[in-house]
Amino acid sequence: MTNARSRLTYLLIAIVGALTVCPVLMLVLGSFSEGLTAFGVFTTDKYVEAYTDPEFFKVMINTTIFVLGSSMLSTVLAIFLAYLNTRTDIPFKFLFGIISIIPMMIPHLLFSVSWALLLNPSNGLLNLALMETFGLDNAPFNIYTIWGMILVEGLLDLPIAYLIIAPAMASFDVALEESSRVFGAGSWRTLVRVTLPVLRPAILAAFILGVVRSLASFAVPSVIGMPGRVQVLATHLYEMIATGFATDYGKAAAVGMSVLAASVTLIVIYRTLTAESEKYVTISSRGFRPTVVELGKARMPLFGVVGVLSFVLIVLPVAVLLYTSFVPYSMVPSARAFSMMSLKHWTDVLNDPISLLSLKNSLFLAVVGATLGVILSVFVAYVIVKVKTRASGVLESLSYLSFSFPGIVIGVGFMWFFVQTPLYATIWALLLGYIATYLPYGIRPMSSAFIQIHSHLEESSLVCGASPMTTMRRIIVPLLIPGIVSGWILMASMFVRELTLSVVLSRPGTEVLAVQILRFAEDGLWGRLSALGMIMILISTALVVVATLVGGRFKTA
Amino acid sequence: MKKLLIALFVLCATSAQAQDKSLLDRARTEGKASFYANITAIEPIMKAFTADTGVKGEYTRISTSKFVATAITEFEAGKLLADVVQAPLPVLDLLKDKGVLAAYRSPAAAGYPEWTRKDDRIQLFGIEYVALIYNKERVKKEDVPKRYEDLTLPKWKNQIVMANPANHATTISWLIGLKENVFKSEAEWMKFLNGLAANKPMFVASFGPTPAPVESGEKLIAISMPKYIVTKAPAPLAWAQVSQPMLGTPRAIAVTSKAPHPAAARAFVDYWLSKKSMEMLAKEVGEYVLAPGIYPPIEGISKAKVIAIRELSDDEIQKWGAEFKKIFDVK
Repeated sequence: MTNARSRLTYLLIAIVGALTVCPVLMLVLGSFSEGLTAFGVFTTDKYVEAYTDPEFFKVMINTTIFVLGSSMLSTVLAIFLAYLNTRTDIPFKFLFGIISIIPMMIPHLLFSVSWALLLNPSNGLLNLALMETFGLDNAPFNIYTIWGMILVEGLLDLPIAYLIIAPAMASFDVALEESSRVFGAGSWRTLVRVTLPVLRPAILAAFILGVVRSLASFAVPSVIGMPGRVQVLATHLYEMIATGFATDYGKAAAVGMSVLAASVTLIVIYRTLTAESEKYVTISSRGFRPTVVELGKARMPLFGVVGVLSFVLIVLPVAVLLYTSFVPYSMVPSARAFSMMSLKHWTDVLNDPISLLSLKNSLFLAVVGATLGVILSVFVAYVIVKVKTRASGVLESLSYLSFSFPGIVIGVGFMWFFVQTPLYATIWALLLGYIATYLPYGIRPMSSAFIQIHSHLEESSLVCGASPMTTMRRIIVPLLIPGIVSGWILMASMFVRELTLSVVLSRPGTEVLAVQILRFAEDGLWGRLSALGMIMILISTALVVVATLVGGRFKTA
Repeated sequence: MKKLLIALFVLCATSAQAQDKSLLDRARTEGKASFYANITAIEPIMKAFTADTGVKGEYTRISTSKFVATAITEFEAGKLLADVVQAPLPVLDLLKDKGVLAAYRSPAAAGYPEWTRKDDRIQLFGIEYVALIYNKERVKKEDVPKRYEDLTLPKWKNQIVMANPANHATTISWLIGLKENVFKSEAEWMKFLNGLAANKPMFVASFGPTPAPVESGEKLIAISMPKYIVTKAPAPLAWAQVSQPMLGTPRAIAVTSKAPHPAAARAFVDYWLSKKSMEMLAKEVGEYVLAPGIYPPIEGISKAKVIAIRELSDDEIQKWGAEFKKIFDVK
């Protein structure tokens, strides 16, 4: 048994290492090389230049506020929504479940632009409505601030947090809460003293993923931070590579190394804080049964709160997108704007052969990539959680390597790597790059689910003569279905809108949706951009619905 | 003598035609021409090239910031997929220094001004021209700037959008171009910069996002490209026809030295520089091209004086980017 687990661990280290180490290694080489590629004379000048820049300290302060603020917002919102959706009798659960993950399906660039249209201080739609309603002279909100950045990034990272926390909430053993109540604790005390501490691994995982994602995020710092003159790490890196023509990605990689170091430190902290995983087991062989908490009188008021939150934070920006896809150019809603509406942008997009090819390629990458990614994630998560050795710690850190690097830089690392292989300029390079970079999206929900499954279940199966593979297939995987569905949804919807790798690796014949969206953005064609964005949301929604239904069927079976 | 000259001309023309035909035949055998470019919205030209020549045109859009890294990485690995490259002139100069470009003088550029033939490798064909683009429904005629200095008037406070002058290479070059071609003294230029900065322009990453805030009325005027008047019609955009010259960075094209399809590469450059392509580029994309007598369909452009800004080195761009960062208080 131990030997089998060791073999599995080393095999996975080899697979995950091959996927994630190579591009990062190329970036390390680039950061220590003179010149513009990965292979040059050794130098430390790029580190000296990058870290002695007087701007760097100021940028890091802004970055810390931005990253911690947005991660906290997404985690708190996710806990609130996941609890209500999975554990209580709040109405329209399914709908709220879908709404919570909609920001995952929207290209971040478009979501940020929608918020700028809603809350810019000159003529933001929400600002105009509030000024008219309350007779204000000035706009009450300005999106172009660090708080605006935190709000939008927090919402964009909400689905990641939700999809990690919700399965853990769904698998919660209510006996723990009942025991708390038997000993006289009220609902609030039980939530704070029992429910949330038991869910610590999932909450921490969501928070850490939020931190790593917002560190790597570019859309929000660019669309909202730049007009507000709030510079964070991503825009600092952009400035580094955009000023001039001989772009030195090695120097940007040198800065990226500190992000990588921060991410690896966070993973170590996470492992330390969740080391005693037995404490978080909620599914043992002793009658696991998640039950529904009745909200009673609070049901309708809470429904109202969730409804308003969902409407303002998520439905409204999507509505702005839909509206933009019908008007001929960027216009404030008016009778004239509505009279000028047409389907022109939609027909332009649907008649564009490159857009159609992009749709086909993105769909292929989403379905095949997410399926392969989830299969790999199940094994990796199993080793990370159940095989508590130093090697499994190495595996966990490896899985975060490409993911932790700022998006602007990691794509070039992959290009430097794939150009040395026959896969360069093929769809397989994109597929492998996607899986390597977004592996944590599959691993995290699965790890949170594994932590909650007691090893007694596995041991009983093995004692009864089942092989490790049979045990995995018959016992573990069925209990992991919520985690598998979450992981697949996270990966598939990420792959539908993936930009950072695609923009570097995509070539004629391998165009993908996000690259096509970027083309429209660079041409300032917001109408077509919004139409394609809506198509992207529809595809992702279809994938989410199918995954949820298939998951539900397996669970029932 | 006259007969002899005519005979010689006919012989040359026949020989050129035969050469063209032979080039095209070889290009057809090669099958396709791969084009790496930073210029946008050129799909109609690619389609026309394929239809007219029977050689498939493949367009890969690569942003300026990734252009050198991509081309050199592929070139050094022996996998440069591009037959033809198009980018701002300084980018092609960098590639030329690395040996990425081949010598080719296209006969299609014969009618272009002499200064557009940079050397035996690089041909200039357009200028990424910059102007003041305003919302014609919200800015009164009398308020439209007549000189660049008008942008410093207090009425434009919080009403301007522009690409970030701390890092957007074309905007940095444009500001330097104003110093060298428009303002009489450095003091005047500095006064203009300080006045513009005092009006607190909103910064965006590049020219692409500049027209949207003007269309929607979030801002009234942009330092942007007049081509958006064509590509974003019927948006209420117009350009301020200032009394001073318009400036822009030159767009360049070249064949690669290890082109996988060398004949197709040359056939593509010939087609690109032809009158037909340049007309499409001007009329459908709104680009300012250097083929004589062809202009974008924008009122007043054919009479405007457009100057190509001198080529700035990376060191200069970085130095001035840092300087503008201070002047414009970019945090």
